[in-house]
Amino acid sequence: MISDYDLVQVTLLSLYVSGVATIIGSAIGIPLGALIGLKEFGGKGLVKTVTFTLYGFPPVLSGLAVFYLFSHSGPLGFLDILFTPTAMIVAETLLVIPLVTGITITSVVEVDRSIKDTVKALGASSRQSVLTVMREAWVGLIMACMIGFGRVIAEVGAAYMVGGNIDGKTRVLTTAIMLETRMGDFEWAMALGVVLLAVAFSVYLFLRLLQEKELL
Amino acid sequence: MKLDMKWIAVVVVVILLVTATGAYLLLKGEEKQSLLLATTTSTQDSGLLDYILPYFEDEFVCEVDVIAVGSGTAIEYGKRGDVDVLLTHSPAAETAFIAGGYGEFKKKVMYNNFVIVGPTDDPAGTSDSTNASQAFLRIYENGTAGNVMFASRADNSGTYTKELSLWAKAGLNASTFSNDWYEETGLGMGDLLDFCEEKLDDNEYTLSDDATYYQRVEQGTIPDLNITYSGDPLLFNQYSVMPVNSTMHPHVNHTLAVGFADWLVEQETQELIASYERYGHRLFFPNADGYVSPSSLVVGYVGIQTLEPSQATATQLKETLIVENARALVRCCE
Repeated sequence: MISDYDLVQVTLLSLYVSGVATIIGSAIGIPLGALIGLKEFGGKGLVKTVTFTLYGFPPVLSGLAVFYLFSHSGPLGFLDILFTPTAMIVAETLLVIPLVTGITITSVVEVDRSIKDTVKALGASSRQSVLTVMREAWVGLIMACMIGFGRVIAEVGAAYMVGGNIDGKTRVLTTAIMLETRMGDFEWAMALGVVLLAVAFSVYLFLRLLQEKELL
Repeated sequence: MKLDMKWIAVVVVVILLVTATGAYLLLKGEEKQSLLLATTTSTQDSGLLDYILPYFEDEFVCEVDVIAVGSGTAIEYGKRGDVDVLLTHSPAAETAFIAGGYGEFKKKVMYNNFVIVGPTDDPAGTSDSTNASQAFLRIYENGTAGNVMFASRADNSGTYTKELSLWAKAGLNASTFSNDWYEETGLGMGDLLDFCEEKLDDNEYTLSDDATYYQRVEQGTIPDLNITYSGDPLLFNQYSVMPVNSTMHPHVNHTLAVGFADWLVEQETQELIASYERYGHRLFFPNADGYVSPSSLVVGYVGIQTLEPSQATATQLKETLIVENARALVRCCE
């Protein structure tokens, strides 16, 4: 069956929700990861372990948490954003943050170890040395964004739970694939999967060029 | 300097995303008044809603946003005031919903049929059962004897609720069943049928709504799975509509929700539902209070014509029925 929803709109919404969630998640996760990775404090090992544990945070649980938060009987119900793309972005951002934070920690620690003494010997201030480490960790930071984006563009549990898969409003590629599968339109579901991979390919091509500094 | 260039690149990404968003919003068009409907996957997946909702949207100049989930989830959305109106098929949960004061009222809309499906040679012998609970009893006896298996949805769906009630009717308690023959899968209906097809060597049976069964047959994914028993009124699957209580949840769209519920049980809408066919079968059978099927109208008209007015009164024909008979007559003449 050729479904009557707008494929272009569904694709753009997927890109929008995943893109914004990745940007916000990275804006929080990268500084957080740098802080945890570079600063010495008590309980650091535990904080790192907890961050890595959250890699396995089930998307549908993130969806459920956001659902309770924004439900009309929940604490933020008055905002009236349940079953909107905004609620989906919040749920997806929660999934991006631990991934980006964890990968940032690993990247900066690696770089820090190899160049710390050199930077110190050259007489850099601690602010300068942090900036240098971040610049050197560039490849790892972009990888963090890539993995974060990969998780949310392919995610269906949270998107369905807080978005509701409403035609023309909150239907994204993954929930559309789920719907088509449920309806038995397996070929159409596969076709949507190809579209999703094409979208991911374009985004990753761009990020990879950015990572390898070939773009500019 | 190099870092600055990178930031420019990041800004480019952001601009691309904002453009995508803008394009998306433009495509979305202008906002109309909207009604949030939580319903079961069956009404959406069967295509029924796509068939009838445009008529409602035209008449009430609005947009219906459909969230298709399990009946249990839909009712939970209603309790929390997250949707405006419910169209579900889980009678016990609906009664509790109304009793708890969460809904304005409940109206019967239509039913569809559940069927027992299994291997073609029907080793449990369900096909000549006198009723559905006897068919279930035979599956139980053959299951515990190791001849057949039963795959259960084992979720909060209306289908699962129906399955449990059928075991109970047969005097059995499904929670005591051994997983040697009784498999609690947690799968959706279509996936469960595919599962049974894959496991046909184990003589797997299940309970399915007929729409999903016909859909999978048409898709060709379950060539060896057959309906072994159907037709018992116990297997009717009743759908009801309930607007969410607007006193408890003042933000719900009360006017549209009640309008929708009333519209669903109107004679014209009921006839629309009756006219919907998919996979070569009628899937939903309207049965709102006061609904008279067109075929019975014709019979009714012939009946009235041959009666004296006094006799008509004696047979206590309802006034509404006479009006409907007049409409049927007009339809016949056309």
